[in-house]
Amino acid sequence: MASVTYRNVIKKFGEVYAVNNLNIEIADKEFLVLVGPSGCGKTTALRCLAGLEEVTSGEVLIGDQVVNDVPPKDRDIAMVFQSYALYPHMSVFDNMAFGLKLRKVPKDEIKRRVEEAAQILGIEHLLKRKPRELSGGQRQRVAVGRAIVREPKVFLFDEPLSNLDAKLRVQTRAEISKLHQRLQTTFIYVTHDQTEAMTMATRIAVMNKGILQQLDTPQNLYDTPGNLFVAGFIGSPSMNFFPAKLEKADSKLVVKADGFSVNIPDDRAQPYYPLVGKEIIFGIRPEDIHNPTFLPPGIHASNVEAKVDVTELMGNEIFLYLVSGKDSYIARVDPRTRFAIGDKVQVAFNMDKFHIFDPSVDRENPPAVR
Amino acid sequence: MGIHPASIRTSRGGGAADSARRSDSLLTVILFLLPSLALFLIFVVYPILQSVYYSFFNWKGFGPAVDFVALNNYRRILTDRVFLIALKNGLIIIALSLGIQLPLALGIALMVRRDLPGRAFFRTIFFMPYVFSEVMAAIMWLGLYNADPQRGLINALLVLIPGAKPQAWLGDTRLVMPCIFVVLTWKYFGFYMLLFMTGLQNIPAELEEAARIDGANRRQLFQYITLPLLGSTIRISAYMSVLGSLQQFILVWVMTHGGPVNASEVMATYMYRFGFVRFQLGYGSAVAIVMFLICLIFSLVYQRLAPQADYLGAY
Repeated sequence: MASVTYRNVIKKFGEVYAVNNLNIEIADKEFLVLVGPSGCGKTTALRCLAGLEEVTSGEVLIGDQVVNDVPPKDRDIAMVFQSYALYPHMSVFDNMAFGLKLRKVPKDEIKRRVEEAAQILGIEHLLKRKPRELSGGQRQRVAVGRAIVREPKVFLFDEPLSNLDAKLRVQTRAEISKLHQRLQTTFIYVTHDQTEAMTMATRIAVMNKGILQQLDTPQNLYDTPGNLFVAGFIGSPSMNFFPAKLEKADSKLVVKADGFSVNIPDDRAQPYYPLVGKEIIFGIRPEDIHNPTFLPPGIHASNVEAKVDVTELMGNEIFLYLVSGKDSYIARVDPRTRFAIGDKVQVAFNMDKFHIFDPSVDRENPPAVR
Repeated sequence: MGIHPASIRTSRGGGAADSARRSDSLLTVILFLLPSLALFLIFVVYPILQSVYYSFFNWKGFGPAVDFVALNNYRRILTDRVFLIALKNGLIIIALSLGIQLPLALGIALMVRRDLPGRAFFRTIFFMPYVFSEVMAAIMWLGLYNADPQRGLINALLVLIPGAKPQAWLGDTRLVMPCIFVVLTWKYFGFYMLLFMTGLQNIPAELEEAARIDGANRRQLFQYITLPLLGSTIRISAYMSVLGSLQQFILVWVMTHGGPVNASEVMATYMYRFGFVRFQLGYGSAVAIVMFLICLIFSLVYQRLAPQADYLGAY
């Protein structure tokens, strides 16, 4: 058990910054998820911690010890790889026991630990098999088992679920969360899947282009994304974005997009006065756009006229693909909604839940204004 | 698309149509196989059978073989001191190849795999001897081994050392086999290095990373991960090396003709001497058959003993 710290970590491959000045403090027993699109530097950051990559500059600490020059075998970490990286010539038992044998743990202790881990993971009956005789899900468990038996200070997971089918992924996700509860050890988990991040993490670090975008709890990331990238990355379907202009009319702040105008409620208007007259990006999540007939009580709603482009019935909800002016967006509405393709309809934006981003500060990734 | 009545399988009559179709496709298979089968029979099987036939005769290569000697040729081979020297030399070459040449090739493959400066250059240099023709390599080494320090580089360097005398490298019965083995190693280890490099490339980097995290140092990584996963490559290399050693001919023939006093005789030079120099084709054929049987038995034993995984792919 140990904390982990990234202090001003830079990792360059040639002239390319894979990780650019990363600063994260991960508490002991925390479940931190590094999330971001392919090539965002999350795996490189993990590999720097594992000792499989040398950092170009900065420091990586496990506990209080700077481990920059400590070889992987002495860092007391265990890692589950995306491909599982099981030793193909060894049985499941030997795969799990390998690390312990190298550390000269007594034989009966190895046996006890391997059997205990196998029991936790439900793979006792597979111990004599070779990896090629296992299914993807079973291999994944063996890979996790190999990490567990080591009883390391820190567990590292590099996209461990991406080779599993959708159903197994959901199941294993829950099992990894349970495992974290049970082992009470620091988990650092890399994924590109924001659902995995949201469901498992104590905190999430969102990365893009080697730069840490935001580090917060899943709920805070969802409710108050710090910039356009985080807002768009966290949540599925993604947040809708509209290029718009902020105007003042009759002492009210109005967001004017191409196909609609909505009023900002007075109690939320304060931070946005400096943006009056400027180009902004207006963001609203699909679930904050409602069918006016089934509007939740007590919200500030602003009606918008839209044309229904596509409807997708999900059973418990309906996804509406809407068009207002030049803007297309998605609404996630009550399943009782009866809109047909081509209908001109009214939808209600929940104006308690909008986001505004200021492109004048950073055109590529505008920060949120609150 | 409609269904042709004939293609509907019924309980009656369908079986006959089915077997007719099957014999049709069998005929197609045979027709397509015939050309290569004919080539195989004419150029591989027939000469072997012919050699077997001649090996029972004391045939000089002219006219029909009439002087039937039954197994006498074989009896003579197995009691001929020179053949036994040739056999022993073959075994020495095998032992040295497996003990020195392959480990050297593996070591260098491991070295040039790492991020060594100029590794592409070294890789090319090490592989280059394999590209040379064997005759060219033999002539080149004849020059290097020349007993006259004025003409042979090795002796020219040797005489620079105070007290050292030039050696008749290829003329000394004790030195000739080690000298030939040096040339064999120089010529072929690049090929095995390439095989090993391919084998190493097939080992996923993540396996070695996992082992490093599991606590393996360099030696343990090699011993427990790299070496076992290279198993099939090593076995194939050893197999090819043994067969190559048993059939070694050109380098030895060009450099020494099997001499001096048969000291560097190998089975192929022995066979060639009787078959094509002394024109004892019956006896030469018997030698060829003995060589063939040794290689065949080795191959069969290897295939019997090699783990199935070698044929299925290890991962």
